[in-house]
Amino acid sequence: MLELRNVNFAYKNQSHVIHDVSLTVSPGDFVAIVGRNGSGKTTLTRLIMSLIKPISGDILFQGSIIPKCTPAKMAHHIGYVFQNPDRQIFHDTVAEEASYGPEQLGYTSEQTNTFVNEALAVTGLSELASAYPLSLSKGQKQRLTIASALAMQPKILILDEPTSGQDARQRDQLLQLLLKLNKQGMTILLVTHDMELLSACAQRAIVMAKGHKAFDGTVAELFQDTIRLNNWGLSEPAALNISRQLAAFGVAQTASINELSHDLATRLGRNDHAYSSTNH
Amino acid sequence: MMSYITLENFSYAYTHPKKVLNNITVTIEEGSFSVVLGPNGAGKTTLCLTIAGAVPHYFGGSSVGDVHVAGINTLGSTMQDLALTVGTVLQDYETQLVTMTVEEEVAFSLENMGIDPKEVAIRGKDALLKVGLTGYEKELVTSLSGGQKQRLVLASVLATNPKILVLDEPTSALDPEGTASLYRLLGELNREHGITVLVVEHDIAAILPYADQFILLENGVLLVSNTPEDVLTFMASNQVFVEAIPSIWQLKLALEHHKAGQCELWRREQDAIVELSRLLQEEANKNA
Amino acid sequence: MHTVAPITKLALTVFVTIWAILLHSIPALASLIIWQIIILVLTRVDIIVYKGIASLFIFAALLAGMQYLINYDTVLAIVTACKMIAMTLVFFILLATTRMQDLSAALVVQCRVPYEYAFMLTAALRFIPDLLAESKAIQEAQACRGYTPQGNLVRRFFSYMAIIKPLVLKAVTRSETMALSLELRGFGNRKIRSFGNKITLNARDYALLICMVILTSYLIVH
Repeated sequence: MLELRNVNFAYKNQSHVIHDVSLTVSPGDFVAIVGRNGSGKTTLTRLIMSLIKPISGDILFQGSIIPKCTPAKMAHHIGYVFQNPDRQIFHDTVAEEASYGPEQLGYTSEQTNTFVNEALAVTGLSELASAYPLSLSKGQKQRLTIASALAMQPKILILDEPTSGQDARQRDQLLQLLLKLNKQGMTILLVTHDMELLSACAQRAIVMAKGHKAFDGTVAELFQDTIRLNNWGLSEPAALNISRQLAAFGVAQTASINELSHDLATRLGRNDHAYSSTNH
Repeated sequence: MMSYITLENFSYAYTHPKKVLNNITVTIEEGSFSVVLGPNGAGKTTLCLTIAGAVPHYFGGSSVGDVHVAGINTLGSTMQDLALTVGTVLQDYETQLVTMTVEEEVAFSLENMGIDPKEVAIRGKDALLKVGLTGYEKELVTSLSGGQKQRLVLASVLATNPKILVLDEPTSALDPEGTASLYRLLGELNREHGITVLVVEHDIAAILPYADQFILLENGVLLVSNTPEDVLTFMASNQVFVEAIPSIWQLKLALEHHKAGQCELWRREQDAIVELSRLLQEEANKNA
Repeated sequence: MHTVAPITKLALTVFVTIWAILLHSIPALASLIIWQIIILVLTRVDIIVYKGIASLFIFAALLAGMQYLINYDTVLAIVTACKMIAMTLVFFILLATTRMQDLSAALVVQCRVPYEYAFMLTAALRFIPDLLAESKAIQEAQACRGYTPQGNLVRRFFSYMAIIKPLVLKAVTRSETMALSLELRGFGNRKIRSFGNKITLNARDYALLICMVILTSYLIVH
């Protein structure tokens, strides 16, 4: 659906460089884009959205290059959610805000209403439809920006570090939302630092390092080599680290802390507990 | 021993009657590394600003109760009195940077205090070294990345040699490596220079190796203030804000719940690995 | 020119303005202009300054034209234009060769301007790029929601209004946070504030100042 072929980019002062990146995104993919600050994660998504133009190389959407592409044209297919909600909110009510996108794209008011209601329902904001956006909490504002993107009926959703500044509860809610959307068929590109979030929802990971695409594979493959991870400035989820180091005792490797605690509880439980479980 | 920072039955309302802080009584000892945690909107930032002396002076509103910081009764004194003792890094770090270049920024607070230019230069250099911005002296502040700006604010605060450091989400623009190195620095300043540190942070796992006190707020109310271990156990037992419990503690508490034995008080993943290896080895020996 | 103290350059600005007012003959004004341009060339200022000077000349020509239409006096028109150029060029010299921070330090320490006012200058300069970046970010967000600048000027105007709201709000919150942060950093204690800026006068500065005073007195007497 989305393809980058040998894309190169740099600003005039040689900052924000992207070196020869090629990748493909298929419908329904959930791709996490990770790497150090300055490695090119956000720059890559900005290239995809046409906010910046590559110096060389092509970006194809559904097999063809969109001539004279602009972010507004890409908005027909991709919903881009920036990191800072305050720069993306312009209207006086939640419903008006979410309606802005579909209106700009030329949908009728009937269609817009349907899309907006759907988007607010999926993000849990239906009851706040007439609320003043700036009075919302951080987590609600961020869900509003996601709803505003969803209302445009995109095929791909790009989110740039959506958990920054969120508390653990808001982060969990976001995780559930993204999983739900992906299950419904939404293709998701998620730029994040949060490795636990990555392992909980993404199937695929792309690692950016100094503007190069250093890795493109499954999340399981990503965590196979810890030295390589550290070189990229990344770490693995706690459960994976712990289970890996206890492998000698037969503990199964897992990225889920729940699975690990269950495994260890069974092994370390009181003798009668362990005895009865082995008897099954 | 007189406690260093105390709030006694302190309540604050910006617009009556909604209390942003409700009857808070908490003590922070000198040389402590305390962390304020809680959901967004709990009043964490307001608590920090109270200790920095900005609430209620700067914001107006009404308050009840007592606040003492390093021997000064904040409600009866001006913000200037505390400016030298408390160094504050606000959540909106961008706006805290008011000069044109990096070296001017670290010099700013010192110049405000009337310190000799030669001394200013020395302290400035030292502060930049601590946060890893040596070599950036002539750079324009507007050309720095978000993470560099955050570190610059910290440097300009450190240059004033405060006795108390208050930081409100100081790692929001940093990547995990940057976060780890920032807390390493704060941990060092706390242990080796005795600076009292108060941090608001969402990533509990990152500060767990350094903190000695957790202050848990929700809806303006202080739920509990104690050692990290006690607070995490409290959160699990009372099902309060459990999402924030770091993975290793979720593991520890789950194991204890299944009566797999009482584990040590883990601060780092390595602590967990060491103890679990020991327990698994004992189990293996028993079964052998 | 870059090493001349800010206060000397400030003085130069004042003196040149006085000279431009006092002189009436075209050759005298022309030499004042040429002499200033020579200074700019010698101090190797940025190209952007020359672009500004070009605009200045165009503007002055327009002014001369208007003056001519009023009085039908060619000489008067040219003299007015020359005065304007002469008075404005010196500001170019001042601003192109002096850092704002040093200028504001000079104003505070040597001219006894209250620090808060001088500080407002540099703080404004510091935040202008940020405001521009902010407005660009908001425009990008709009574009990503399908907005394309089109249609008549009225429609475009209303679309710009949509940016103004978050921008103004951000600017207001920003100024509040900045004021808070300044208080927390001990700002406002003007009695004891020190300045690391290089604003002291050396022998050359004093020599230049004396020359300017002599020249001015000569012009006044004549």
